[in-house]
Amino acid sequence: MACSPLEQFAIIQLIPIHIGNLYFSFTNSSLFMLLTISLVLLLVHFVTLNGGNLVPNAWQSFVEMIYDFVLNLVNEQISGASSVKQRFFPLIYVTFTFLLFCNLIGMIPYSFTVTSHFIITLGLSFSLFIGITIVGFQTHGLHFFSILLPQGVPLPLAPFLVLLELISYCFRALSLGIRLFANMMAGHSLVKILSGFAWTMLSMGGILYLGQLAPFFIVFALTGLELGVAILQAYVFTILLCIYLNDAINLH
Amino acid sequence: MLAAAKYIGAGLACSGLIGAGAGIGLIFASLITSTARNPQLRGQLFSYAILGFALAEATGQFRPSILYNIN
Repeated sequence: MACSPLEQFAIIQLIPIHIGNLYFSFTNSSLFMLLTISLVLLLVHFVTLNGGNLVPNAWQSFVEMIYDFVLNLVNEQISGASSVKQRFFPLIYVTFTFLLFCNLIGMIPYSFTVTSHFIITLGLSFSLFIGITIVGFQTHGLHFFSILLPQGVPLPLAPFLVLLELISYCFRALSLGIRLFANMMAGHSLVKILSGFAWTMLSMGGILYLGQLAPFFIVFALTGLELGVAILQAYVFTILLCIYLNDAINLH
Repeated sequence: MLAAAKYIGAGLACSGLIGAGAGIGLIFASLITSTARNPQLRGQLFSYAILGFALAEATGQFRPSILYNIN
């Protein structure tokens, strides 16, 4: 009996909380988000106990690797004075580690992928985008509107280009969320569909005992690909965030 | 009738993968070409290629979300 491949994304309420007509229940999504955050915080806390070791052990070098990676990313992608871009480093670091560990915890069988829900990635990307816009206005004042007009454009074309750039600017926030959500959801349901295929073949018996090995090995390979995609999508989200932030800080 | 139309729609939605596949192929083809021309830039080019691969792959992954909306 094969279940629906989308069943793994079902949200189950663990502690129902209703305030008036509002729905504040503690769901499995919130549980896994809390798990992710506490895992990251515990990891960083235990690694930096007593200021860490001079010669790092495996865990400490893992945390240092992530830190170094994000620091390089910020330094490469955001141009300008070091003091300006280092202000945004904590935000970008937290975004990267949160998404990375959410995606990786989602790869554990029978667990729940937080980032496979559109509302979570969209909420994240929209709030980051509102923040970026505020940073842009804070840095440049009303001059920030010149982000909507590329340099050296003939004046008759300007109204259309402003409209187009406005649409593309707003669509960035949407596409940032959709990209992460679609990758996570599609990947997880693909693995589920193919493993259901293998399981159905296995339960039919006969020659299919051998035949089920083919989809099974595809599932095995796909799981490796999904691990790569989990890391890559966190990276892509972060690098695009850096690029958009760079656009807002240093107008073209 | 409706079920048949749904299956046809699902099949049509899958054809969106053609573009993603061609895009991924193009990215790695140009990675190989440019590495052959200038092997010193290998590390830098590889990170750009991985970024491009992720973007192209993400476009391909929009397909299943349409697929599930249909079925």
